[in-house]
Amino acid sequence: MNEQALIQDAQGGNLDAFNTLILHYQDSVFNTALRILGDEDQAADASQEAFISAFKSISSFRGGSFKGWLMRTVTNACYDELRRQKRRPTTPLEPDTEDGEEMDSPRWLADPNMTPDQKAEADEVEHAIQHCLNNLPLEFKTVVVMADIQGMDYTEVAASIRVPLGTIKSRLARARLRLRECLQGFAELLPASYRLEDGINVS
Amino acid sequence: MNQRDLELLSAYLDGQLKPSESAHLESRLNSDPQLASVLTDLRATRNLLRKLPARKAPRNFTLTRKMVGQNPPLPRAYPWFRFASALATLLLFFSFGVNTVGRQMASKAPVFGMGGGGGASEESTELFSAQEAPAAPAAATEAPILETGPMPTQMSTEAADAARIVDTPVAKNAGETENAVTADQVQSSAPLVSSTWQIALAVIAIGGMLFMVLVRQISARRWK
Repeated sequence: MNEQALIQDAQGGNLDAFNTLILHYQDSVFNTALRILGDEDQAADASQEAFISAFKSISSFRGGSFKGWLMRTVTNACYDELRRQKRRPTTPLEPDTEDGEEMDSPRWLADPNMTPDQKAEADEVEHAIQHCLNNLPLEFKTVVVMADIQGMDYTEVAASIRVPLGTIKSRLARARLRLRECLQGFAELLPASYRLEDGINVS
Repeated sequence: MNQRDLELLSAYLDGQLKPSESAHLESRLNSDPQLASVLTDLRATRNLLRKLPARKAPRNFTLTRKMVGQNPPLPRAYPWFRFASALATLLLFFSFGVNTVGRQMASKAPVFGMGGGGGASEESTELFSAQEAPAAPAAATEAPILETGPMPTQMSTEAADAARIVDTPVAKNAGETENAVTADQVQSSAPLVSSTWQIALAVIAIGGMLFMVLVRQISARRWK
């Protein structure tokens, strides 16, 4: 895929070229939205909105990391979605069990190719991490999702959300610390290799 | 542990420290087990996040032209047809308005004594009444005579005279004046914009609209 050529074509209004870019990046965009919002349906809506918005404003893309630019668009779409939720709170979309209670673990999100044991373990870990991510302040969550989940480097994240590099370093460190503290509460769920040691006191 | 050390450890984990900073931190890590323990925890946390399963998008997010509001390219003449059709529609409505106002003005004209036709009409009405008035008592006085029955010839003569009153020169004048007034009214209530123009405007407006619909459909079909 010649990304640069596709971007130029898309900037000229070629929707097919932009759709090729969408097919390449849609999983990353969706995962970012999913981790920020914590809900699959909302993440799908935010991703769709982000791609529409990205196509309409692609002429403003002046080079650099296209993925970073897309991530900025999707985080903005997620912020919009969160603002909407604040204005009009809704009930969670997690399915109910047969008893009519909400599922503790999002098994309905699991990869169907895993064995039952793997699925159970992954579900527990994923649920624990998502729970801890949901408790992070939005600006911390955005940085940790981009850096640790999407694997973007510091400069890419800084350019994407337009904050100084030092702020990215600080937010990432504090986000990791908060996640570590939160995940201690799920110690029994985590595989032995991921168990964390107790007690970091940061002054 | 302070905030500065936490940021150093986090950046060290990602290889974001300068070589000199890294060397200094590594020497501290060797001598400070608590610092080393925090680094282990942060690394475990980062690994957990990295191991988080990547979800596949539940559907393709590819865009349609409708979603982004793209319209099919239209011929260059299209805006001219649109303009002509819109202008013709406006003029058509304007012509209806002008004709309606003109008709109302014409019907109000006699009431306000406007124009010679209106004055003549009033005058003629009075004249006509004046001429008719004597005829009516004449007819009324004749009625008892008819009932009593005497002098049938006299009755018929008087009735004929009464009937002849209408043919007097004054009555003839009144009749002509009335005819003139009617002609004036007809002339003044004639539409200011002729129906030929209105039909032409309607043809342009409707034809333009039909052309635009057709062109849009053809363009959309070709675009697909």
